Amino acid sequence: MKIAIAQTSSVLGNVRKNLNRHLELIRQASEQKADLIIFPELSLTGYSLKDLVPEVALNPVNSSLFQELLEASGNIDIVIGFAEEKASNPGIFYNSAAYLSGRKIVHIHRKVFLPTSGMFEERRFFAEGREFRSFKSRFGPAGLLICRDFLHYCSTYCLFAEGAQLLIDISAAPGRGVSDQKNEAFETSRMWELMGEAMSFFSSSAIIYCNRVGIEDGAVFAGGSFIYSPLGNLILKLPYLDEAFAIQEINLDEVRKARKIWPFKRDDRPEVIWHSLDRIIRKKDEN
Amino acid sequence: MKINGPLVTKVLTNFIRDEIRKAGFDRAIIGLSGGLDSTVCAYLAVQALEADKVIGLVMPYRDFDPEGVKDAEKIARTLKIRWQEIDITPQIDAYFSAFPTDSALLKGNKMARERMSILYDFSAREKAIILGTSNKTELLIGYGTIHGDMACGINPLGDLYKTQIRDLAKYLRIPEEILKKKPTAGLWPGQSDEQEIGLAYEELDGILYHLVDLRQTIQEVIQAGSEEQKVRRIIDLIKKSEFKRKLPPIAKISNRTIGHDFLYPYDWDK
Repeated sequence: MKIAIAQTSSVLGNVRKNLNRHLELIRQASEQKADLIIFPELSLTGYSLKDLVPEVALNPVNSSLFQELLEASGNIDIVIGFAEEKASNPGIFYNSAAYLSGRKIVHIHRKVFLPTSGMFEERRFFAEGREFRSFKSRFGPAGLLICRDFLHYCSTYCLFAEGAQLLIDISAAPGRGVSDQKNEAFETSRMWELMGEAMSFFSSSAIIYCNRVGIEDGAVFAGGSFIYSPLGNLILKLPYLDEAFAIQEINLDEVRKARKIWPFKRDDRPEVIWHSLDRIIRKKDEN
Repeated sequence: MKINGPLVTKVLTNFIRDEIRKAGFDRAIIGLSGGLDSTVCAYLAVQALEADKVIGLVMPYRDFDPEGVKDAEKIARTLKIRWQEIDITPQIDAYFSAFPTDSALLKGNKMARERMSILYDFSAREKAIILGTSNKTELLIGYGTIHGDMACGINPLGDLYKTQIRDLAKYLRIPEEILKKKPTAGLWPGQSDEQEIGLAYEELDGILYHLVDLRQTIQEVIQAGSEEQKVRRIIDLIKKSEFKRKLPPIAKISNRTIGHDFLYPYDWDK
């Protein structure tokens, strides 16, 4: 399958402008025969929204803007990031990612781990998602994560335990730390790469990390999107800081190859993990 | 505390370009003192925007700092930017003849605000955003004039300590004589930052870096070899100058108040 990564910036709080840019890149990816195009976290709205969240949030079921995206997903699958307000739960806003295919919403993931410390204040403006769930894409079982979700390795584990072979993390990660003399990258970019390499190898799954670029209120988004193969090999790396658009062929048959060599999936014991977690949680409650 | 020169240059030039576009300006304007910070800022601006989009203002008072004026003009010529010298002596003298003082600090602050006032006037005339040149060291210890040299449209240098700006200056290949100069706020003839603060920038930055960036406690910084008295004095300076780094507090009486719970991003719809 051919995957397009749109390492873009956004106009903060202007969904219409951002949507137009999405449609343009979707068209471009489609023309180049990509099967799936992936945009960064909150790609439709921009990241540092604060009080703008309720003003830009979309209900994917009845939003006409969302409808335009669905219509664009006829012959290419699309992953986007947006602020979500469900009709069933008005006034509650999520930092969400949607997987669209064949003009349908196949899956929505609501960010579980909302960073709220230091420069981050997501929990002030968003509600937390409550689950990790893999879903069937037309290429195989897949899973969505949003930014910080990926730095909690249990997130990837849940998707792995449910059989995901294609893990997609969309991100709006600002870079911090400029003391690395070897790479022209923020120090924090290393976190994502380390996790990408480790998780792809130990879950024998393809991992796609799509991080945004651009500057919002002085925060500099680091870019450096990548794809790791199920054998843990880096097969695509986009530049740091600059906008980029790339199409990469990936072969999900490699999952089989990887799992034949390294039977981490065969030997997984989710019930042991479950019992252990259950005990830990109960013990915590007792204290 | 080492910085990656190419990365920092790329980030800061991106920042300058991006913010100017977002603010709807075409150009950048900088108050040039002939010192390290404004020189580095001018070099970054020229890399970000091309020389014809950068304006330098040299604003001397009497002959307080002839060497600074000479260096500032030399930098402007080297970078081929448009520049202008504006003597602020008449308005400063007019004010202090009406309200005399012996305080060099009061005079210096007034001069800093006069320069600010001219920069904002030229900012509007030239549709040019003001690039601030206050570094992280100055901002943290409050070594600057509020609404004076601390005022700006955007500040590319505010997250770099003075010693890091020296490293960046070397990477940008700014003239050696500027690098070698003793840092001065130029508030009075012969003023030296390090003398006035009572610490060399290397030592000051080292302590700030451990306190601020590494989030160490006073005890940890002292144990690592810094003098307790110095560390405490620096913490005191940080505390006392918080007002210079914030917008003034607004008394909250309504349900939604600017700065408290009316929270919109700076780069809204840009």
